[in-house]
Amino acid sequence: MKAKEVVLRSHNGYIALFAKVIFRFNQNEWSCKVMKKTAAVFFFMLLFVLSGCGEVPPPVQSAEPAEVTEIGPDNGTVDPIPGEQRLRVATTTSLYDTGLWGYLEPMFEDEYGIELDVLYAGTGKALDWGMRGDVDVITVHSRSQEEQFVADGYGVERVPFAYNYFLIVGPASDPAGIAGMQPEEAFTALMQNGTASFVSRGDGSGTHSKEKAIWAAAGFDYEADVRTAGDWYVEGGSGMGPTLVMANEMQAYTLSDIGTFLAYQGDLDIVPVVDQGSILLNVYSVIQVQSSTSPELAAAMVSFLTRDDVQNLIGSYGVNAYGRQLFTPCAGQDY
Amino acid sequence: MILQLDSIVKKKGKNSILHGVSVQIPQSSFFVLMGPTGSGKTTLLRVAGLMDKPDSGSIVFQGKPVPGNRRELLKTRRKMAIMFQNPVMFRGTVRSNIAWGLGIRGVSGREAAIRIDKALELVGLGDFAERNASTLSGGELRRAALARVLVLEPDLLIMDEPTTSLHPSFKTDLLRRIKEIHAETGSTFLIATHDFTDALAAGTEGAVLRNGLIEQTGSLNDILFSPKNRFMASFTGMRNIYPVEFSGSEAELGGLKVKHTGERTGHGFLAVPPEVIVVSLTETVTSERNRFAGRVKAVERKGTNWDVTVEVSGVEFIAAVTTGALSEIAVSPGSLVHISFKASAVHLF
Amino acid sequence: MSYLAEALSIAMSMILTGDQVVYSIAFRTLLIASASTVASALLFVPLGCLLHFGRFRGKQAAVGFIQTMYSVPTVFVGMLVFLFISRSGPLGGMGILFTPWAIILGEIVLIAPIVTGLTISALQSTGEGLADTAFTLGAGPARVALKVLSEAKYAVLTSVIMGFGRAISEVGVAIMVGGNISGYTRTLTTAIALGVGRGETASSLALGLILLFLAMIVSIAVNLIQHGARR
Repeated sequence: MKAKEVVLRSHNGYIALFAKVIFRFNQNEWSCKVMKKTAAVFFFMLLFVLSGCGEVPPPVQSAEPAEVTEIGPDNGTVDPIPGEQRLRVATTTSLYDTGLWGYLEPMFEDEYGIELDVLYAGTGKALDWGMRGDVDVITVHSRSQEEQFVADGYGVERVPFAYNYFLIVGPASDPAGIAGMQPEEAFTALMQNGTASFVSRGDGSGTHSKEKAIWAAAGFDYEADVRTAGDWYVEGGSGMGPTLVMANEMQAYTLSDIGTFLAYQGDLDIVPVVDQGSILLNVYSVIQVQSSTSPELAAAMVSFLTRDDVQNLIGSYGVNAYGRQLFTPCAGQDY
Repeated sequence: MILQLDSIVKKKGKNSILHGVSVQIPQSSFFVLMGPTGSGKTTLLRVAGLMDKPDSGSIVFQGKPVPGNRRELLKTRRKMAIMFQNPVMFRGTVRSNIAWGLGIRGVSGREAAIRIDKALELVGLGDFAERNASTLSGGELRRAALARVLVLEPDLLIMDEPTTSLHPSFKTDLLRRIKEIHAETGSTFLIATHDFTDALAAGTEGAVLRNGLIEQTGSLNDILFSPKNRFMASFTGMRNIYPVEFSGSEAELGGLKVKHTGERTGHGFLAVPPEVIVVSLTETVTSERNRFAGRVKAVERKGTNWDVTVEVSGVEFIAAVTTGALSEIAVSPGSLVHISFKASAVHLF
Repeated sequence: MSYLAEALSIAMSMILTGDQVVYSIAFRTLLIASASTVASALLFVPLGCLLHFGRFRGKQAAVGFIQTMYSVPTVFVGMLVFLFISRSGPLGGMGILFTPWAIILGEIVLIAPIVTGLTISALQSTGEGLADTAFTLGAGPARVALKVLSEAKYAVLTSVIMGFGRAISEVGVAIMVGGNISGYTRTLTTAIALGVGRGETASSLALGLILLFLAMIVSIAVNLIQHGARR
C-alpha cells in the first residue's frame, strides 16, 4: 500500500485524481456518477499528455545527402523525424509535380538554416490552409482567388514570380479534332463531340479555375452545361500529375500546365494538342500568410523567390532535362 | 458466534432472493447450509462472505459489525476465504496458485513455502506442487482449490457445494478430508450443499433454506431427526409421510389409528422414520404402542441396507432393515408380517 | 507485364541496397505507429479495464458503441483531428498540424476503439469466476483487476498489436493531418499513395513490399502470442 499512498499524495493533481479513481472502484459500488468522473479524468489525462507534446525537445537532425529518387522532391535528409525551426509552404500540385520545389528547397534551407515543409494541395485547399493559419506561405496560380485572399486580409501581398502556359493535351489520334484550335473553340468542339473524354481537375485548383474560365469564355455555364454534359466529362479530383496519368490511361483530353506535363512527358502517350491562346497564361504568385507564426521567415521566402539569382534559376529549371523552359521568371512585373 | 446474519434481504433486480434471513454461526462449528437448488444458498454465502452487500439487514463478524471503511473491510474479508462450486485456477503451477493469496498478504519466501507444502499435504496433493494447474482432473482441482484457501488459515472458511458433481468415491474422500481438516484447524466452516448426506457426514450445526427464508436452524441432529415440517421431512429424506386427521393423541390414517405423543386435532401430517419400524414375523409383545399386521409388498436394496415395503390396510409403510435382520426374518413379497413402532417416534406436522 | 517486372526488380534492388530515402520513410512509419500504439495501450487498456469491471447504467451501450467504432473510416478521424489541431481550431495553440505528432495523435484516436474494445473482450474471455476467485482470496479491487488482466495478458497483447497493425497501414489520417511532407511526415502509406498517383511504380512497389512485410510481421506476432497462450 505504500506506493499507493505516495501516488495519492502526489502533488500532480491529475495523477492523484487518476489514482483515486483507479483505487476506488469496487465491484459493488460502481455508479454512473463515478464513471462520468472517470471519463472526465481520462479526457483530461489525454489533454495533459498532448499538451506536453509541444514542449518535448525534438531529436537532433543528422543531415546526410541522399540521391534524389522518384519519390518526389526530397531535401535529402534521411533522419526520420528531424527537428529545428520549420517554415510551411503550401504549394499547388502543378507546381509541386514539376519538381521545382525539390530543386529550391535545399537552397532555402541551407541559406536560412531551417527546415522547409512543402505541402501540396489544390489551390483552393492551399488557400484554405492559409486562411486557417496552418501554413506560413502559399504559392498558387489563380489570380482572382489570390486577390480575394489578400483583400480579405488573409494574405499580405500577392507577388507574382513566374509564369508559364497551360496546354490542352490529349491522345495523338485527336478523336475530337481540336488540334491547333484556340482554347475556347476547342472546348466548344469537345462539347459538341460528346464522346471523346475530358478529365477535369475538379478540385478548386488553379488549373481547375483556368478550365472553368475557358468554358465561360466559350459561352458555357459551368454548373448547368458542363458538369451535366455527360459521361465524357470526368471530374478527377486529383492533383495535376495524377490527373495526367488518369487522362493517359483513359486516352482522354485534359488541361495541364506545361511544367507538370513536361515533367511527366516521358511516361505519357498523350501529347499537346492546343497550346496557343492568351487565355492559357498561367501565373504563379507567392503570398505571405497574414497569420503566420514566422512572419520574418515567410517574408524571407517571398524575397527569396523574387531575388535575381533565384529568378534566374527558376528560368533555367528543366532546360537541360526537358529541352525547354518550364517557367519564365516575372518578378516585379504586372502579371 | 463467529458470524451473525440478521434479517438479510437481497434482491436481484426486482426479485427478492433472500426475504429476511437470520442465521447464527457458532465459532469453530461445521455449519451446513442446506436447501434445494434455487433457494438462495449461494446468494446467502456471498453475503456472508462479504462479497455482495445485502439490500437490508446486518452482519456481525467476530462480535463487530462489518466495517464500511474500505481498508477495514479488506482486513475483515481477509479473515475469511471462499471456495466456489467450480473453482477457477490461475495460470501457472499449483504452487503458484496456492501462493497467490499469501503473496497479496505479504507472505513469501520460506514461510510461504512451508505453509504451501503443509496445505498440499492436508489435501493429499503433496506431489502436485509443480504441476500445471490446467492439467488437473476434477477431484484434483477441488483439492487444489481447497489447499488454496486453507493455506490462508482463515477464521471462517466458506465453501459452496464442495462435493457436488463429484464421483461418489471422490465425494466421500473429499468430505472426509474436509472433516479432518476442520477438526485439526479449529476454524469455522460454512458449507452450502443441496445433498444432506454431506451434512450427515461432517456437520455439527446447520440451517435449511427454502425460497429465501430459513426453514429451520440448529444442531444437525435436530434438523435431520426432528424436522419441523413436511418440507423439512421430505428434504431430509424422511419417508412414510401421511395426511391424517388428528384427534387428541391419536391420528386416523386410512383405517388405521396411529398413536403419538402429541396433542392435536384437525388435519395434518405425520411421518414415521423408516429406521424406527421393526418388522417381525410374529406379533411380539413389546413396548411399541403402534402394532400392525400387514403383507410385504416389496423388498429392495437401499445402499447397504434394505427397504421393506409393508402394506397395512391400504397404507404403505417403508421399513429400513439391515441385511442381518433381513436374513433373520427372511421375508419376501407376499409374506405376512407384523410391524411396530414407538408412539414417541412419530413426527407430527 | 514486363514493365511491372522491371519495376519489381528496381524495387527489390532499392530494398536490398538499403536505399536511404526508402528506409528513412520505413523507419519513420515504424516510429510513428509504435508511438501511437504505446500511447494508446497506456491510455486505453486501463480504460478497457474500467469499462469491463465497472457497473453503471449504459455499460452495454458504451461497449457496443466502441465496437461499432472499430471500423470508423480513417478519413473521418483525419478530418476530425485536422479541425481540432488546425491553428483556427480549439487545440491550434499546440501547433502540431503537419508534424509527425499530428499523425501520432490521429492514430491514437483511430486505434483507441480497437484497443479498448478488444481489451474488454479479452477480459471477458477469462470467464466469470476469475474475478470472484481473486476477490475471495482477499484481493482488493485494484489487485483483482490486475490479476484478471494478467490472466488475459496474451489476449490484451494481441489487441494492442492489432491496434499497431491498423495504425501502420492507414493512410487517411496520415495524409490529412501530416501533409505528406517529404522527409518529415511522409510515411509508407502516404508515399505509396503519392507515388501511385504519379505513376512512380518502382518506388511505390518498394515501399509497398516493405509495408506488406511489416503487416505480415504483425500477423505472425499475433499468431505466436496466441500459440504461446495455449500452452
